[in-house]
Amino acid sequence: MADTVTAPITSVEEPLDLVRLCLDEHIYVKLRGDREVRGRLHAFDQHLNLVLGDVEETITTVELDPETKEESVHTTNRKMDMLFVRGDGVILGLIPSILYTAPLPKKLDNHAINLFRPPRERYETPILFDLSKD
Amino acid sequence: MADTVQPKKTPSDFLGAIIGHPVLVKLNSGIIYKGVLACLDGYMNIALEQTEEYANGQLKNKYGDAFIRGNNVLYISAAE
Repeated sequence: MADTVTAPITSVEEPLDLVRLCLDEHIYVKLRGDREVRGRLHAFDQHLNLVLGDVEETITTVELDPETKEESVHTTNRKMDMLFVRGDGVILGLIPSILYTAPLPKKLDNHAINLFRPPRERYETPILFDLSKD
Repeated sequence: MADTVQPKKTPSDFLGAIIGHPVLVKLNSGIIYKGVLACLDGYMNIALEQTEEYANGQLKNKYGDAFIRGNNVLYISAAE
């Protein structure tokens, strides 16, 4: 009998596999300089260069009032349709969805895997930017 | 006398041994991530499960799975 899951369950063997699982997902990325971006991950490479769509960037700044010496935290938001993030600015990346509060896919049941695993062809998505060449 | 010859141990052996175990990862910025080490690679990129983010000793966030870019890592410590 045919199994309900025909493709082998792709386990996370190296950290970049986790990023691959995030392709086409709405992700949260923490960047250097107290910046964070949320957007849909269109492409990435081994440097963590990212191409994000439908992006919202949040910049957090701490201002010191020269008179009262009080620190106040400000956030600035901006929206962009498409954004290229250079990999060296990346600190942390994750999917802020509830599914990702579950363990990694190798431990999820089939239903949950199909819910959040991208279609198989997405694994074959060519890397758009390969800066390692030339 | 009873001591056996210690096999050559490297930092990678340690990292390999703690995969699947709770770890504490400190970044250069001082932020600490606690979680279960899912895997890591030669760049010290890290995938963590059940991640907790601590800044100044206070729990700031909880994430399911998190990816940490290796260049930010100060140390990885086996927790508990």
